[in-house]
Amino acid sequence: MIELQDALRKKEIWAIGGGKGGIGKSLITGNIGITLARLKKKVLLVDADLGGANLHTTLGIGVPDMTLSDFLNRRVENLQDVIIKTSIPNLGLVSGAQDFLDAANPNFAQKTRLMRHLETLDADYVLLDLGAGTSFNILDFFLFADHGILVVLPEPTAIENAYRFIKSAFYRRFKRVVADQNIKNLIDAAMDQKNAMGIRTPYDLIERVKSMDREVGEILELEVLKFRPKLVVNQVRTKNDIQIGFAMKSACQKFFGINLEYLGYVEYDDCVWQSIRSKRPLTVEYPYSRPSRCIERVVHNLLRKEQITRSMLY
Amino acid sequence: MKKIENLNYYELLEVSPTATSQEIHKAYEQIRRVYEPNSLALYSLFTPEETASITQRIEEAYRTLVYDEQRKKYDAMLRGRDVLPDLPPPPPEEMKYQPLSVQPMLTLPAENRYIGAPKSPAPKPAPPKPVPEMVAPVSQFIAEFNGSAIRMLREQKGFTLRHIADSTKVGTRYLECIEAEVFQKLPARAYIRGFLILYAKTLGCEPEKMASDYLKRYDAAMKLIKK
Repeated sequence: MIELQDALRKKEIWAIGGGKGGIGKSLITGNIGITLARLKKKVLLVDADLGGANLHTTLGIGVPDMTLSDFLNRRVENLQDVIIKTSIPNLGLVSGAQDFLDAANPNFAQKTRLMRHLETLDADYVLLDLGAGTSFNILDFFLFADHGILVVLPEPTAIENAYRFIKSAFYRRFKRVVADQNIKNLIDAAMDQKNAMGIRTPYDLIERVKSMDREVGEILELEVLKFRPKLVVNQVRTKNDIQIGFAMKSACQKFFGINLEYLGYVEYDDCVWQSIRSKRPLTVEYPYSRPSRCIERVVHNLLRKEQITRSMLY
Repeated sequence: MKKIENLNYYELLEVSPTATSQEIHKAYEQIRRVYEPNSLALYSLFTPEETASITQRIEEAYRTLVYDEQRKKYDAMLRGRDVLPDLPPPPPEEMKYQPLSVQPMLTLPAENRYIGAPKSPAPKPAPPKPVPEMVAPVSQFIAEFNGSAIRMLREQKGFTLRHIADSTKVGTRYLECIEAEVFQKLPARAYIRGFLILYAKTLGCEPEKMASDYLKRYDAAMKLIKK
C-alpha cells in the first residue's frame, strides 16, 4: 500500500541541512532551486529555517507579505496561498516565519499540519531549507524529506556538527520505528557519547537492541540501509578539500554503517560573496562562475541519482 | 552492517573482491590518506587509538592482498568462512576467482561477436588460472584495431564515451571521430597517437598495438586524401 502511494507521488521533497550555521545551506538551496527551475521543473522553495529565515534574500526578494507564520497562525488556511512568485519562471517560494516570537518552535500540531500541506503541494520538487542545529523540528523535516542533503565545509567545526547531525537524525529515525518504551530509552541513552553501557557506535546499539528483541534489531538494521543522506562540500579551496567528502563517506560507512552519497562540491569564489552583497542569486548574477557550475553538477547528480567518484576528479 | 573489526580486507580497502592488484594499490593509497592521524574527517568519530588500529589493519590488508600468493590464501580462507551467516553479502564461491580471469573480459568467446566462430576452440581460459596481466588476451583475438573494433571493445566493457573521456581527458568529440575514423577532423598525427594510447589503457588492451594499427589505417587514408 505504502509503495503504491510512493509510486503515485511524482513530487520529490529534498531537505538541505547540515548542523552548523553559516555553511551555505540557504545559498545552496536557493541556487539548486534556480538551476532546477531552469531545467523546466516546477520548483517550490520552502524556508523551513523557522525563526531565522533568509532564503528570500538569497533569491533577491525583499521581506515578503505572506510568510509561513500566516499559515502556522491559521491566518491563511492553505499553504498554497502563501507561495510567492519569484522573478524566475517555475520557481515559487514559501518564505519563513518572521514576525512572531514563537515561530522557531512550532508545536506538534502545527508541524504535522505543515508537513501534510507540503505533501499536497503541486510541484515537481519541493526544497526545504533547514536551519542550523539539531533540534527535533529540524531533524523531523530532514527525515520527512525524500532526500536529505547535508552541507559541510572543509573545517573541523562543520564536520563535527555534520556527524552530530547524522547521528541525531539517525537515532531519531530509530526511535520512530520502535514502539517499545524500553528500547526508546536505550536509544536516548545511547545518544549520550559517554553512556554507561559502552554503546559507542550504531552497531553497538543494534547489537544491544537485538539482545533485547531480535526482531526490532533487524528492523533497525534495515533502517540503516535505507538511511542514505547526501553530502555537498561547500567552499572548497584545494584538492584536499574535495577529498574530505570521500573521507567522510568512508568514515560514515565504517563508523555508522551508513551510505553517505557524495553529490559534489562547490568551489570557493569571491563571486558568491559579491552576489550575496548585491542580493542577487549567484546562478543568475554569475551563471558561468565556477561555483555555479559546481551547483549545476550537484543538481545533475541529484537528478540522475549518481554521486561523484574519485576517478572523475583528475 | 558490520563492526570495523569484522570487515574483511576487501571491505576495509573498499574494493571489490575481484579488484586487480593495481586497483588495490590505488585504493590503499587513497584510504591511507583518509585514515592518517589528524585526518579532519575522522577525529570526531574515532579516538586516536582506534584510528591507529584501523591504519594498522589497512596496512595488513594491503600487504596481504597485493601479493598474489597471500591473496589466494586469504581468498580461500574467506570462501571457507562464507558459509557462516555472519558475512551477509556472500559472493558465491566462483565470484572470488573467476573475475580475475574474466576480467580481461573481451575473451568470453560465446558473447564476443568479434572473435567469430572459428575461434571457438579456445573457450574460457581455464578459470582458476589467474591472468597476470590484463593486456595480453585481448589482442590475440583482435587482428587489427580499427575505429569500429575500438568501439566494439568499448561497448563490450560497458563504457560510454563519457566514461572514456572522463578518464583519458580526451574530448568526446575526438573520441567519436576516432571511432568513426573521421580522420580529417582529428588533430595532428602525434596527438592522435597520444589519444589512442590513453584510450587503450582505459580499455585495458595493448596501447602500442592499438596505436600502431590505427595509425597505419590513418596514414593510408591520409595518403589517399592528399593525392
